[in-house]
Amino acid sequence: MTAQIFAVIIFVLMFLLIVMDKIERHYVTLGCGALTLVVVFGICMRSGRAIWDTLAIKGFATKEFWYQVTESESKGINWATILFIAGMMVMVEGMAKAGFFRWLCMKIAFMVKCKTIPVFITFMIMAAVLSMFIDSITVIMFLAAVTIELAALLKFNPIPMILAEIFCANLGGSATMCGDPPNIIVGTSLGLSFFDFLTNTGVIAGVCLIISVVFFYFAFRKELVSASGEAPDMSKFPKPSEAITNKKDFIVSSIIFGLAVILLITHGSTHLTVASIGLFIALITIIANGKDSIELLKKIDYKTLLFFIGLFIVVGGLEETGILKLIADFIGKISGGNVFLMIGIILWISAIASAFVDNIPFAATMVPVIESLSATSGVDLHTLAWSLSIGTDIGGSATPIGASANVVGTSVAAKNGYPVSWGRYCAKLAPATIIVLTISTIYIFVRYL
Amino acid sequence: MSQLIISVGREFGSGGRVIAEALAERFGIPVYDRHLITDIAAKTHLTPEEVEKYNEAPKPHIISRRVRGFSNSIEDNIAEMQFNFIREKAESGESFVVVGRCSESKLRDFKCLVSLFILGDMDAKIKRVMEVYELNEADAKELIEKKDKKRKRYHNYHISLHWGDSRLYDLCINSSRLGIDGTVDALEKYIRARVENMEKE
Repeated sequence: MTAQIFAVIIFVLMFLLIVMDKIERHYVTLGCGALTLVVVFGICMRSGRAIWDTLAIKGFATKEFWYQVTESESKGINWATILFIAGMMVMVEGMAKAGFFRWLCMKIAFMVKCKTIPVFITFMIMAAVLSMFIDSITVIMFLAAVTIELAALLKFNPIPMILAEIFCANLGGSATMCGDPPNIIVGTSLGLSFFDFLTNTGVIAGVCLIISVVFFYFAFRKELVSASGEAPDMSKFPKPSEAITNKKDFIVSSIIFGLAVILLITHGSTHLTVASIGLFIALITIIANGKDSIELLKKIDYKTLLFFIGLFIVVGGLEETGILKLIADFIGKISGGNVFLMIGIILWISAIASAFVDNIPFAATMVPVIESLSATSGVDLHTLAWSLSIGTDIGGSATPIGASANVVGTSVAAKNGYPVSWGRYCAKLAPATIIVLTISTIYIFVRYL
Repeated sequence: MSQLIISVGREFGSGGRVIAEALAERFGIPVYDRHLITDIAAKTHLTPEEVEKYNEAPKPHIISRRVRGFSNSIEDNIAEMQFNFIREKAESGESFVVVGRCSESKLRDFKCLVSLFILGDMDAKIKRVMEVYELNEADAKELIEKKDKKRKRYHNYHISLHWGDSRLYDLCINSSRLGIDGTVDALEKYIRARVENMEKE
C-alpha cells in the first residue's frame, strides 16, 4: 500500500512539474524515475527484481529485441522505442542537412505553380504523408517555414495554412507505428507491426484526411485569397534546386530515407524489430556522412531520449505496484462490461487528456491499462490499442499545447510575426478534432464490434 | 563618445521611465520603451494595444508549452522578439537607453552597458501614482503591487537571478531620497564617470 501511494505521488509530481515547465522535462522524468527506483522499489518494496525488470537492460541480450517472429510484450523502459527514435533522429538530421525537406516543400509548391489553394491542399497532404515516417516536429518546422515564405511572396495570411498542416501532421502520425511516439510505445509494447497500424489506424487516418481537407478548405478558403489577386510570378520564387546544400548528401539521404520506409513497411515479414531498424538506419547514416556525422550526432535531441527513459521508469512504478491494474478494473467497472462504452472511454478520455497534457506519458501509462482491461474483460486488445492510438494522436490537435507539432507550428508562425492565440487556434481545430474523433469512433464500432 | 547602453530596471511608481527619458536626453541618445511595443506591433500584425497586453508579461504556465526551444505562448514570443531587438541594436554599435525587458542580463556581455535599478519608498510611489493616474490611495497601492508582481514574474521567468536583486545591477538607487531630478543628476555623474573609465580602457 505504501509503495502504491508513493508511486502515485511521484507520478502526479512528475506530471505537475512537466506542466509547470520550470525545470526541463528530462530532468523531471529522470529525477522522478530515480525516486521511483529508490523509494518505491528499494525502500517500500525491497524488490531488486522490480528494479531489474523496470530497467529492462537484459532485453538487449535477447534475440527477440532485434529479431521477432512472434508477438511479445515488453515491460519497464521501452528501449526499442528509444533506440528507434534515436535512429530516426540521426536520419532526419542527415536529410535536413542535405536540404531534403526544403527541397520537397519547394518542389511541390512549384508543381502546383505556387497557386494558393493548390499549395494549401498539397501541403496538407504532404504534412500527413511525411508524418507517417518522420516525426511531426521536423515536418512542421520545415513546412511552416516554407509556408511563411510563400505567404510573403503570394501575400496571404499563413496562419490558416499552418494550422491545417499541424492538424494533418498529427493525423498522418496516427496512421503508422512510427508516425507518433504514442504509436511506437503502443506498437513495441504490444508487439504490433508497421503493417498492423497501416491497415487499421492507417485506414482511419486516410478517411479522416479526406474529410479534413474538405473541412479546412471550406473553413479557410476566404482567408487564403491572395491580397494581390494576381497570378504568381514564378520567377520571383526560390528554385527547389537551390534548397539542396550538397547533391551527393541529398542523394544519399534520399536513399537512406527510402530504405527506412521499405524496412518499416516490410518489418512484419522480415521480422526485424523497430530497434534493429533504428540502429541500422543510424549506422548507415553515420557511415555515409563520414566526418560530418559528429555534427549530426551533436544535433540529436538527447533531452527527449532521456525524457523517455525517466518516464518509462515512473510508469514502471505504477505498473509494478498494481496501480494501473486498479485503473483498468475501474474502467471495466464503470463501463459495466459494455464494450462500446469501454472503447468510447479509452478513445475519448485519451483524446481529452492529450488535448491538454503531453500525450507521450499518457500513452505510456495507458498501455498496461488496456492490457489489463483486455485480460479481465475479454475485449480484443488490438481494438483497444487502435482506440488508444487514435485518441492520443488526434486528440492532441484540439489545443495549441496538445502535441509537439502544434507548439512548434504556432511558435514558427509567431517568430515570423503571426502570433496565434488560443482562441484563433481552437476556433477551427477543436471542431475538426471532434469531427475526426467522432468518425473514428463510428469506424471502430462498425469495423471491430 | 563611444557606444553607451543604459539599462533601467524600475519599480512601478519610482519614476524609472521618466528618469530613463531624462538620461537619454542628457546623453543625446534614443530611449527604447514604447518603441519596443510599436516596433513589435508593426512586425506581428497585432495592434499596439494587443502587444501591450503581452508586453513584459509572464506566460500563463497552464496553457503554455515549450518544445525544443519553441513556445506556443505569445508572451514568450513577444519577449524573445524584444530581446532580439535590443540585442541587434546593441550589436549594431548604437547607443541607447532601454527600459526593463531584462536588459541588464540580456545585454550583460556588452562592456558599454551601465545597468541601473530605480526603486522608491512605498509612500512616495503611492503619491506619484495617485498624481499620474488620478487614483485614490488604496487603488494606487493595489496598482503598484499588481504591476510589480507582474514585472517580477516576467523577469524571474526569463532570468535566473531575481528582479531587483542588487547583484544584477551596477547601481540601485532609491529615487525617493533625492527626488526625480536629483536622482537624474546623480546618475548622470555616475554614468559620465563610467564613460570616462570605458574610454580609458
